[in-house]
Amino acid sequence: MDDDELASMYELIQLLSSLNDTRRSILQALAHVYPRSVSGVQLSRMIGYSGKSRSLYRGVLAHMEENNLISIDQLTPRLYAIRINNEHPLLDLLVEISRKYGGATRKIYLRSLEEE
Amino acid sequence: MDRLLKRAQGLYLDRQRIALSAFMVVFVVTLYMFYSPGIVGIAEPPEWFPPGWSEGLEVVASFNTVGFLLAFAVMVFAYGFWQWAFLPTPAVSYTRTVLAGIFGRGAKVTQTIGKRFRVFLDGDAYVDVTCRIRGQGSGNWFAYRLTSSPISRTDAEDIALRHGMSVKKGRFTTWISNEELHSRTLLLAKAMYLALHT
Repeated sequence: MDDDELASMYELIQLLSSLNDTRRSILQALAHVYPRSVSGVQLSRMIGYSGKSRSLYRGVLAHMEENNLISIDQLTPRLYAIRINNEHPLLDLLVEISRKYGGATRKIYLRSLEEE
Repeated sequence: MDRLLKRAQGLYLDRQRIALSAFMVVFVVTLYMFYSPGIVGIAEPPEWFPPGWSEGLEVVASFNTVGFLLAFAVMVFAYGFWQWAFLPTPAVSYTRTVLAGIFGRGAKVTQTIGKRFRVFLDGDAYVDVTCRIRGQGSGNWFAYRLTSSPISRTDAEDIALRHGMSVKKGRFTTWISNEELHSRTLLLAKAMYLALHT
């Protein structure tokens, strides 16, 4: 690992640890299932969110999109496709390491997505 | 949620109940005051109107109604102002304690009406912290909005991105939840340090 990568890794850890549990688990889940996008209901199941998905959208996802952490495409008025923003300089790194070393975790997340 | 914020939440709900019931009492009293004296009509209804209708219309289209609507507007404004300005004391002390924890006891923190705090850093840099008691639609209690002082750099966008923030009107801004107040404010201060000193 060269110096730039280490510096980015430091910043990534700092960014992730500054977020609260909900936001952190969203990024973790989305990084593992990348390049798939998920709907709001699937996401709230993946992160074990107990509240309504509307409150997840208004309070959490909208703010994360504002900060360019995730991107949200509105497919229909009620259906959203939520993805991690892989053009983000630090989250790109998170996606990369999750794809490289997170195969087993990815399987678990994908299985929870298949169970409809 | 923090113990202080829990108390602030209870206090807020309590005060809101009191404010609403006071609002209702004032509403009834005003209604009585404006309509118990004689009705002063604005204009005579036309002759061909059915008599029952014109009697009702005389009450509705009268100076009493104009006065009552004005009084009602003042009441709504007063309630709205209270909601905008009121931040329960435990929430104030939570915010101040956290900010003092990051920037030190000596840092100057001012509170202005409308739930706004401003922390002065070295030089003329500052951080604005605005509290929102209950998010509309999200049901989240005590969310904060962090805003930095203006940053004039071409790569401000890039610095903000690397700290999970966005740039609005040349300032770093982000919405945070109350658990994140400490860690995100710290990160914002770091981002501002990078932007101003490197």
